[in-house]
Amino acid sequence: MNQQELEGILQKAAELKVFCEYGERTIPILDEVASFVREISPAIEDLRAVVEVSMVNIPKAADQLARVTQATEQASTEILNTLDKMVATLDEVIGSVASGMVSSEVGIATKKVSVIVKSLVDKSGWDEDIVKLAEAWDVHLQSLRMSGPTSNLERLLKDLQNDCTEIMMALQVQDITQQHIGAVMGTIQAVAEGLRKLTTGFFSTATAESLPPLPAMLVQTEKENVGDVERKKMVESLLSKARAGQL
Amino acid sequence: MTSMKILIVDDSITIRRIITNALKTVGFPETIEAANGKDALEKLASANVDFIITDWNMPEMNGLDFIKQVRANPLYSALPILMITTRGTEHDVIEALQAKVNSYIVKPFTPQELKEKIEGILKTVQVNTV
Repeated sequence: MNQQELEGILQKAAELKVFCEYGERTIPILDEVASFVREISPAIEDLRAVVEVSMVNIPKAADQLARVTQATEQASTEILNTLDKMVATLDEVIGSVASGMVSSEVGIATKKVSVIVKSLVDKSGWDEDIVKLAEAWDVHLQSLRMSGPTSNLERLLKDLQNDCTEIMMALQVQDITQQHIGAVMGTIQAVAEGLRKLTTGFFSTATAESLPPLPAMLVQTEKENVGDVERKKMVESLLSKARAGQL
Repeated sequence: MTSMKILIVDDSITIRRIITNALKTVGFPETIEAANGKDALEKLASANVDFIITDWNMPEMNGLDFIKQVRANPLYSALPILMITTRGTEHDVIEALQAKVNSYIVKPFTPQELKEKIEGILKTVQVNTV
């Protein structure tokens, strides 16, 4: 409702007042209506200003949230790429350590002897003494793995690999955050839609038509009021009921 | 290690990779991926899938509609399905169970939790088959 329309209403009220000279009781009511319209006129102007600013800011806020999601997804992908490389490298190193092939002089010598022993067994046609030598060598290799820094190193490397897995699992936070941002976007979209209706139906300005569309995101509107532990308990309880045919 | 082929359905590449890695660490190395329910139905038709892990919120076809389609198709209706989602209300879980999902995990999850759920489902499925 603009100033011109408000003045129109006041004009009509004034004309009505003239026509209603016969009904003195209606004149005070019309005066009150006119007074009310005058009072709310500045408030409506203020509201229009707030709505117009909000209609510009809401899509901006939604766009910023969408950018946060994109940025965290990209970062997660990069972290996962690095972790994949680390896990693959650790696999190789663990394999080498487990077979006693650490990159030291002893390791290289051990590897050479292992190859020679294997070759001897093959060439000898499984000669009894050579097989015994190979078995003794295997026992020696096992004792090497079990003792000293090599076994500690293997354990440490496996711990590192487990740490990599834990970091990977922690990246679920990206998806969880994205889902929650999606829910906020849903609320923002609902507010924007309400304001859009308000501007087209009440203020009749061009604001609504000129607004950019909100970025599309999956919307999850479900309320989740419990913590992770309670939620998991609730899920397990329902699964048990379902298994017992009680759902 | 098992040769069971698991179809992972999730629109998030991050989550697909996380599930794939978690499955590898608990002895399920063979996986294929789909970005939504529609994509998953195509993968089901072209690959020999033994087990399905699906998200709920996805574009084009969400997880719940996907499960309903799988259960309605005699070719795949007996496939075990585990849903992994951020949706954690009682209403959500009941809705998923009514769509005949075998089990349900609310994110975040651990590899161990994933392993226990899969083994639990497989045990139940075997018992029912016997």
